Amino acid sequence: MEDAIYKTLPSAEAKELNIQVLVMEFLGDDAVLLSCPQGPKESEAFVSAFLKRCLPGLREEVIQERLNRKAVILEHSIKQKKKQKRKRRKGLSAKEKRQLRLFEIKPEQQRYDLFLPLHNLWKQYIRDLCNGLRADTQPQMIQTKLLKADLHGAFVTVKKSKCPTYVGLSGIILQETKHIFKIITKDDKLKAVPKCNTVFSVEVDGFISYIYGSRFQLRSSERSAKKFKMKGSIDL
Amino acid sequence: MLREWERCPRHLLVSERSNFQLERSRHAAAIRGHPFNCRVSFLIPECGALPDKLKSVIQNFGKYYLVKDLPIHEFVSHDFISIFIKKGAFYALSYNTKIDQDNTVAVLPTGKLILSVDKDTYEELGLQGKPSRYSGKKVMRYIVTIDLTDAAFLPDTKKHKRVLWALKENKPLTFDFLLAWHSTDVEVSTAMSYFSKLKMKEYEPRIASSILRDLHCPILQNSELQGKPEKSCSAHELFDWLGAVSNNVDCNNHSYSFISTYCCPQPSAVLSRACLCTLTGFILPEKIHHLLDHLCQYFDEPKLAPWVILMVHGFADSPVSWRESEHGFHKGGENLYSFVIFNNQDYWLQMAVGTNDDCPP
Repeated sequence: MEDAIYKTLPSAEAKELNIQVLVMEFLGDDAVLLSCPQGPKESEAFVSAFLKRCLPGLREEVIQERLNRKAVILEHSIKQKKKQKRKRRKGLSAKEKRQLRLFEIKPEQQRYDLFLPLHNLWKQYIRDLCNGLRADTQPQMIQTKLLKADLHGAFVTVKKSKCPTYVGLSGIILQETKHIFKIITKDDKLKAVPKCNTVFSVEVDGFISYIYGSRFQLRSSERSAKKFKMKGSIDL
Repeated sequence: MLREWERCPRHLLVSERSNFQLERSRHAAAIRGHPFNCRVSFLIPECGALPDKLKSVIQNFGKYYLVKDLPIHEFVSHDFISIFIKKGAFYALSYNTKIDQDNTVAVLPTGKLILSVDKDTYEELGLQGKPSRYSGKKVMRYIVTIDLTDAAFLPDTKKHKRVLWALKENKPLTFDFLLAWHSTDVEVSTAMSYFSKLKMKEYEPRIASSILRDLHCPILQNSELQGKPEKSCSAHELFDWLGAVSNNVDCNNHSYSFISTYCCPQPSAVLSRACLCTLTGFILPEKIHHLLDHLCQYFDEPKLAPWVILMVHGFADSPVSWRESEHGFHKGGENLYSFVIFNNQDYWLQMAVGTNDDCPP
């Protein structure tokens, strides 16, 4: 931009301006405008003398070299942000965990009574979540709370399913993935029940709510943030 | 009338010709294979009054029972199986249930329990079944078949427990049932006291007989099932005519009649009188077979009549037509058969079904 200005001005004026700019730069902090001597030669001598006085540590050639600068940009330049290097994740990735079978429950630990404390814990959690379940609590309020609640440890029963063999299966939820509930039944069997095309019922202190699995195909972490919408009619 | 039939979607009429004396004759199998019959009628030409022998036969046509609110799990219980299924032929059909919209249940004499249930009930029931053949791309009806005589269906087997749990606890279904039982060695009424704790009512088939006068009837030739123009009528034409006769449609083709323009197929003859007798109720195949035997004996003495006709209509809303082949309603739910018995013990057997049916055997 400054180049453009120089070009339009006559050379003499440009030189003058140049000097003035330089002076202003050097004195920027002091904010004192010196009265500049008139005439090119005089001013040149004045500048060199002035600079020599101000910068006693520098040799003359260095100062002259500095003066040869063509343009000085006064506006501040934008600093380029340095890309932050991502921190490396500690531990294993999900894939590695899966390969190591960390998500699976060992056969000797697949016992119903082993998970009863989890169920009791879950019941306590739901009671706290719904501010103590009482008979006069509105079912709708419980519904909205339960939608966002964590279901690990809940006792569920399969009420309806497209596949009839799943019907009647009941147990404690041990794991929830996007498409599957893993359930331990009372006779110590671990069953994986797909959510798709299945209706589950959850019973908490006399409140029975039905979960339409097809609408529930989310990870539990995603579900807590999702907004469920009312739909006209639902089939499974 | 023929044109109306042709405009219908698929319908089937199977006609065959055979002799009762032949060993390979299939008449018994056809009767026994059609378990649920709601109407039996027979037409005897040139007969002023019902013969006494036939009269006594139709008056002892057996009783049937209407039981209200019978839970289905009764049929699965071991007591029931040992009393009824193993000692005779048990027939049960849910009453006032429509095959195309309600759940329908039937017990066949072969010891099969058949549940024809809609999609929602099937999903709740928890018993394995197969989709109905006639419910289209999106299956809305399922057929669950349980073999009560199966060796794996003994009490305390896994299968029995599961069925009992499904029908008793999971989804208790109750229906009004028409029941009948045929057994050779046990009195029926004593056995039926098994259901005495439920509301039960006893019925007998309703008999209506009438003498038709000056009836136009097609001329049939025993050996010509297809019929010959100008000489005899085909089985198809006879089938139409039988429908007209049994429904009292007049075949005069008067120009002022706006109800029916049907006329008797040609060539025809005029019968001065004919006896038409109709029984309605829940009629067992064993009794029909018995009646058929007596109708055959009708020709033991020389008679004027060239033939005798027996017509049997099945229930429109039964889940099966012949044996275990699936039955649907679609337009009329017809499943019927008729025997034309000639005086030399030859017979024509005609079996007809509507749209949502398998081909009769």
